Amino acid sequence: MKGRRLFTYSGGSVISNSEFIWMGMPNTIMKMFNKSIVFGLVGITVTDRYAGVCPIRGSSMSPTFNPSLESFTDDYVFLEKFCLDKYKFSHGDVVIFSDPTNYKERCVKRIVAMEGDYVSNVNGAVKVPEGHCWVEGDNSAFSSDSRTYGPIPLGLIRGRVTHVIWPPQRMKKVDRRIPQEGFAF
Amino acid sequence: MRSTSFLWNVCKSSFTFGLIGLTVSDRVASVVRVRGLSMSPTFNPPNNTSLGLFTDDHVLVEKRCLTDYKFSHGDVVVFCSPRNYKEKQIKRITGMPGDWISVPFSYDAVRIPEGHCWVEGDNPTDSLDSRSFGPIPLGLIRGRVTHVLWPPQRVGKIDKKLPRSGLSF
Repeated sequence: MKGRRLFTYSGGSVISNSEFIWMGMPNTIMKMFNKSIVFGLVGITVTDRYAGVCPIRGSSMSPTFNPSLESFTDDYVFLEKFCLDKYKFSHGDVVIFSDPTNYKERCVKRIVAMEGDYVSNVNGAVKVPEGHCWVEGDNSAFSSDSRTYGPIPLGLIRGRVTHVIWPPQRMKKVDRRIPQEGFAF
Repeated sequence: MRSTSFLWNVCKSSFTFGLIGLTVSDRVASVVRVRGLSMSPTFNPPNNTSLGLFTDDHVLVEKRCLTDYKFSHGDVVVFCSPRNYKEKQIKRITGMPGDWISVPFSYDAVRIPEGHCWVEGDNPTDSLDSRSFGPIPLGLIRGRVTHVLWPPQRVGKIDKKLPRSGLSF
């Protein structure tokens, strides 16, 4: 047959050019499937163990996050999880932790006192026990934090916030601001 | 040429299996070695030989419970120690939020706050648990123990044994 190239399969059957391209398709699809599974797994592992992105809801950390009530979108922050292995948490870190009153939810607050420090509360001075820390929101009036539920164990912490990554005009590193008020000594 | 592509394939396969293993171990289930006697006789029952890597119990810890399960009395859980967040402990839940636990050697009763639980070891004389550090937040829990996997003669499912002592009412 003139004008038409034929490819011979090793099995002896003869197939045409267009059929050869069709038979290569499942192989390509399998490869794409494999690659997307691997990338998905890499993504899951990295998000679980190393770093992730998280939206911030509420105004308990104004003006550091969500400074105005009329913003259309929540701030998104970058959190790192390397701190869970080796890092020693310290004053001024903004951390994300499981809510001690409801373990299925997470909160974001700033560490203002570590174990061994004394924190002045309405009821007197409270000593933060070993393995715990005292967290408070930057917006004291609208924040339910350690002044409500007491010091939290460090084991509840899920990551440390390092940067704001959305909205673009407020992208910056989160400072480790040491709070001035509330005697932690 | 063929040996390098073979090596490359081996590398790729082991990387993929390593990732799958990590993801499964983080999110589905993993195997954990039980050290110490605080959960005798459920784990590490007393015997004459000294405890070591091959004689400690190894248990299966399932992690699906962290997303949708509601913990309940009698579950044996792995949790981060409230005194030292780098250590993990295994104890049984004996009180849930809202329960009242009587404090030993005193007339007080402690009410377990919202989102917390009371954990105790099955071997009360040798166990550092909620009687020392109080109720722990449920967020510290890292998994629920379902089966003993080693030693072979004690392989089996863990019972949800309700505690007899320590009035929780």
